[in-house]
Amino acid sequence: MLDLKHVFMGTVAAALMMVSSQAQAEWPEKSIEFIIPFGGGADVEGRMIAKAMSKELGQPVVPVSKIGGGGAIAYTHVKNSKPDGYTVGWNSTSILTTTNIGNVPFDYTALDHIGQVAQQPVPFVVSAKARWNTLKEFMDECKAKPNTLKIAFAGFGSATHMAGVAMTNAMGCKPIMLPVKGADRRKMILSGETDAAVDIFFVPLKMVKAGKSKFLAISSGKRNPAAPNVPTAKELGIDMEFDLFRGLSVAKGTPQAIKDKLEAAMIKAASSKKFSGRMKKLKITLAPMGQKQFAAKLKKANANIVSIMKKAGMYQAKAKK
Amino acid sequence: MSPDVLDGFFRATQYDTIFAVAVGCLVGLIVGMIPGLTISTGIIIVLPLTFVLEPEISIALLLGLYVSGMTGGSFSAILLNIPGTPSATATAIDGNPMAKGGEAGRALGIAITASFVGGLFSFLCLFFISPILADVALQFKSPDLFSLMIFGLTIICSFAAKSLVKGLLAAVIGLAVVTIGQDPMMGTQRFTFGQVNLTAGIHFLTALIGLFAIPQLVDNFADIIKGTDEGNTTKIKSVFPKIADLKQMRLPVAIGSPIGSFLGILPGAGGPIAAFISYDYSKKLSKNPEEYGNGSPQGIAAPESANNAVTGGALIPMMTLGIPGDPVTAILIAALLIHGLIPGPLLFVENGEFAYGVIFSFFWANIFNIIIALVGLRFLVKVLIIPKTLLMPSIAILCVIGSYALRNNFFDVYVMFSFGLLGIIMRWLDMPTVPLLLAMVLGRQIEEYLRVSLIASKNDITIFFTSPFSLFFLCLAAASVFWSFWAEHRSKQEQKQQT
Repeated sequence: MLDLKHVFMGTVAAALMMVSSQAQAEWPEKSIEFIIPFGGGADVEGRMIAKAMSKELGQPVVPVSKIGGGGAIAYTHVKNSKPDGYTVGWNSTSILTTTNIGNVPFDYTALDHIGQVAQQPVPFVVSAKARWNTLKEFMDECKAKPNTLKIAFAGFGSATHMAGVAMTNAMGCKPIMLPVKGADRRKMILSGETDAAVDIFFVPLKMVKAGKSKFLAISSGKRNPAAPNVPTAKELGIDMEFDLFRGLSVAKGTPQAIKDKLEAAMIKAASSKKFSGRMKKLKITLAPMGQKQFAAKLKKANANIVSIMKKAGMYQAKAKK
Repeated sequence: MSPDVLDGFFRATQYDTIFAVAVGCLVGLIVGMIPGLTISTGIIIVLPLTFVLEPEISIALLLGLYVSGMTGGSFSAILLNIPGTPSATATAIDGNPMAKGGEAGRALGIAITASFVGGLFSFLCLFFISPILADVALQFKSPDLFSLMIFGLTIICSFAAKSLVKGLLAAVIGLAVVTIGQDPMMGTQRFTFGQVNLTAGIHFLTALIGLFAIPQLVDNFADIIKGTDEGNTTKIKSVFPKIADLKQMRLPVAIGSPIGSFLGILPGAGGPIAAFISYDYSKKLSKNPEEYGNGSPQGIAAPESANNAVTGGALIPMMTLGIPGDPVTAILIAALLIHGLIPGPLLFVENGEFAYGVIFSFFWANIFNIIIALVGLRFLVKVLIIPKTLLMPSIAILCVIGSYALRNNFFDVYVMFSFGLLGIIMRWLDMPTVPLLLAMVLGRQIEEYLRVSLIASKNDITIFFTSPFSLFFLCLAAASVFWSFWAEHRSKQEQKQQT
């Protein structure tokens, strides 16, 4: 029944597309809604991209924040919007985690994706005074004394959790995992309440630069120029490649011509002086990427997250296959 | 001195931040002045604006409103004998007789000057105490923070309630509301009934708008129907205080400022209590206590310096520990969180220039408060003539806009109205709403710290008693509950004796 409905809607959409293909040439004719799923940095950067995209598209791109549920509310809104390109979602790795942990009844393929804007690695952080100087030293101690060392992460099913689980599983370490919000994670490193933390890259970087904490490893495939001495997990023999990314998504079935226009505008906006300046200042890697490349990346990252979640017994995707 | 202090000063002294402070002061004076509008309502009005502004600017605006709202409350207390805000109640005792004696301008001038000194004193407390407290608080671990939050909760309930049972009950409702949405640790959905809009939980500000503004609007509409009128304002001559008055003010202001700052630091005590205690003490220490109550300048200066000193004091636990002392600081916390800034000891380490920016914005707020109040007073009091039939509907609209703009979700408007209904029911039951709101702010943190402590200690409850900080806070919490039981018992006995 449901499938029939989809087929019917698909046909209607296709018919409409043909009718409106001429109109598409002029897209966009009105303002575009830019849905932001998180506050803080995601919000600030989302607004910057939206502003720069307005210049490219000649129509206002209006930032609208729909915060909550680890992105669940924003992604549901974009998924249910008309596939006409007038509703754009500012996505992140959460589009893979929140779906696979079953917060929403669909997976990332329920949306069409325009591309990526930027990415950053997930570092493994310890206090500068800590007795471990390499990830191996930490993991060895953790292996020898299971359930004693504590590792803080952002919250169950979050990207930092995935990275933390992947690192510790690969090294056979059984830590006590502490779900702790943002600033408290850094505080707990300083006060010694937790032995280590898995964090997002640029925020604890300040602490590292101030000589208060140190990175033992980062999760991405390549070393990061902002911390060139920190080895990647891969170099340390852990088979993983994990990045936090941000990019754009639209409703499924959005006409290709519109997606191409959005892609071009997004990439131009990402390379704008103001935005690249902020990325540089925050040490987030600017890595604009189009639809094809991003689709491949998402596929790989999703498989990665699903396998981590399955191993940890967290996989609860509710998408109908 | 850390370089953050200078950076913070420059941030707070940029023209746009200063402009925001000035606008905040203007709005604050107006809402403070209008009886039936509290500072919280004023903040609700400007709230939708702050979402789009930069964090420094929006906080500056709110601080201006907070400081000036305290001062503005005294205007209607003096002119109409109706305190514009609860904190100005004590000011009316001497302010109104002086105004009736034809010296309205003199009374207002004294109130404004005393407010300024009180505010400035509390700024110094904020500036010097906050970094020290933040340093200490950096050593707090999860069990300590859990106990600290519990202490915050008990003290709030005991102060805000006429009846301890009703206060605690309100706090329990607040804690229950916090459990709606995704569990902060595991992300499990609780009480969402499959409704995606509930996964993010009930936003504190949505609940606040409903609980505070809606019952107040209903009350005001009831007044309009009944046809109660506040009467006309008296003519105001010069508002600049005379040298003789300034000399007389020295003692009460010297008493009021530290009392206000100290009580501001304690969560829950707030403006009204500080104002009355300060009035009491300065009367006892005064050379001519018989003047009090008949339009004594000292009787105006004492409560006014105290209630403005509360503002800076209340910012101390808010900035360093993330604990709100009153609804306004709770709103400030929520406003910071919207911008991704988490108030707490780490704010001084990671965003030191922002933390000091807030402190210096508070300084500017006090400066602009006195300037705008003294210069614009004669025009500002005209606001008191605006008919409520115009004012109240506009505020009702702003409530809807505010609750929608928070997350751009119309669902929140329904939530806001539901809380409005709850607020009306609670008022009917004579139950305080402040403990409910503060429990909502503290509740989530209490849960997080409790669960993190238990995970880290492998479910060993003794950690709450072995850590000295935690034990200390728990003892304080027990003492505060015990104290309020005793106080309630005593006041009941006094009532019995009187009847």
